[in-house]
Amino acid sequence: MIETVNLTKYFYSKKTIIKAVDNVSLEIKKGEVFCLLGPNGAGKTTLLKMLATLILPTSGTAYVNGYDITKDEIGVKSSIGFVGGDERSFYWRLTGRQNLEFYASLYNLFSSQSKERINQLLNLLEVELYADRMFVTYSTGIKQKFSIIRALLHNPAILLVDEPTKSLDPRAASHLRKFIKEKLSREQKETILFVTHQIEEAKELSDRIGIMQKGRFQVCEKKEDLEEILEINHEEEGN
Amino acid sequence: MIVAFLKKGILHEMSYRFAFLLEILSILFFILTFYFITKLFGKVAIPYLESYGGDYFSFVLIGIAFSSYMGVGLGSFSGNLRSEQMMGTLEAMLVTPTRVSTIIFSLSAWNFIYATAEILIYLLLGTLLFGVDISNANIGAAFLILFLTLGSFTGFGIISASFIMILKRGDPVNWILGNVSDFLGGVYFPITILPPFVQVISHLLPITYALRAIRHALLQGYSFKMLLPDILVLVLFCVIVLPLSIFFFKYAVKRTKLEGTLSQY
Repeated sequence: MIETVNLTKYFYSKKTIIKAVDNVSLEIKKGEVFCLLGPNGAGKTTLLKMLATLILPTSGTAYVNGYDITKDEIGVKSSIGFVGGDERSFYWRLTGRQNLEFYASLYNLFSSQSKERINQLLNLLEVELYADRMFVTYSTGIKQKFSIIRALLHNPAILLVDEPTKSLDPRAASHLRKFIKEKLSREQKETILFVTHQIEEAKELSDRIGIMQKGRFQVCEKKEDLEEILEINHEEEGN
Repeated sequence: MIVAFLKKGILHEMSYRFAFLLEILSILFFILTFYFITKLFGKVAIPYLESYGGDYFSFVLIGIAFSSYMGVGLGSFSGNLRSEQMMGTLEAMLVTPTRVSTIIFSLSAWNFIYATAEILIYLLLGTLLFGVDISNANIGAAFLILFLTLGSFTGFGIISASFIMILKRGDPVNWILGNVSDFLGGVYFPITILPPFVQVISHLLPITYALRAIRHALLQGYSFKMLLPDILVLVLFCVIVLPLSIFFFKYAVKRTKLEGTLSQY
């Protein structure tokens, strides 16, 4: 479903080279929930944005649903739903429904198709009541649910999710995690790449966990080993 | 696709109804200002405006109306791009399968419709309330000139958006053309009153040809043959600037994707 091959991204400033993503090779299988765990600035979002074709790699490549991110941008974008952590990514003076209808057209959904799909998703995420209110009136949790609806509009094979719980209170965050795990993963069989910096969140949600630190990547095959790996990484960093 | 962008633009605009009303009032007061300036100094201007029919108010009304249209061609792409970057909505659009170029063009569709409505308001108020005479207008030629003007200014507008994409703020194309066009292009006065060396610079700008041609077409009803020299220059601007703008735009998208700054502001 997702395969990265020596995927690398360096950012060049005047005197330094920042190795945001350093030679990452990973494979995420169909229907898997893969959590990418790491501290702020580890390169998680850069990796996610490369998979979404928003950033071009310095070297290496990745295949998303079989499409090469450097060669088939449209194929990749048709296959993914992107849930960012930024709650501003909607038109606040339009209603939630008007926003979703607008984005549905960017996914090439016809009006009748999109109306039906939007109602279906509003029902799935239990936010029908809010659909015809101005977006600016929503709580952060509801805004985040609309982000997920937007990402699911075109029924994508893969969901790329970037720290969706970072501005939620613990109760709303827990509710969202439960929804992702039960509804999206188990019922809808979505392949999910979930970025977070919270260890417990990664453990709760994932089938497998990948750890990113200073652009480098390693897979944690067993969740029980997670703390140990993080401890070793921390010590190595200290040295 | 474009319908969705237009719908979004209308809904957004309707959420600021009072602003729209104020805009119409601004147009009215702007027109009134020049109406009374014409009353005061209009007769002095007659010798300089012979080829346009001699009436300063008609001359300046068309100048203002169409220069605002050109302003939309020049500034709407970069303005919308920056505004969507600031609102955080650009990234959400860029992860959809719609091409970046389609998004940028469609974002400006509403601005062009809005600006067209503004031109109509200018012309309606001018003809109905202030006696501007466009009964002999060559409407076909006026549309052709408008189309070509839009083409060349859109080209500059896309180059301007390319700068905004890379620099985020402070694009030189918009600054130069936006600031000098009204003065050097003859919006408020015919460029023939400028010193000869300044007139040379005026002739490097598309607005000079566009305004002269549109005034001749609307106020004097010039035929296509009479308008041909100005039309040909506008065609030349389109042929040069439009392909150049597409090249710049593709470069800007690639560069910002490499730098990872596509949706940053």
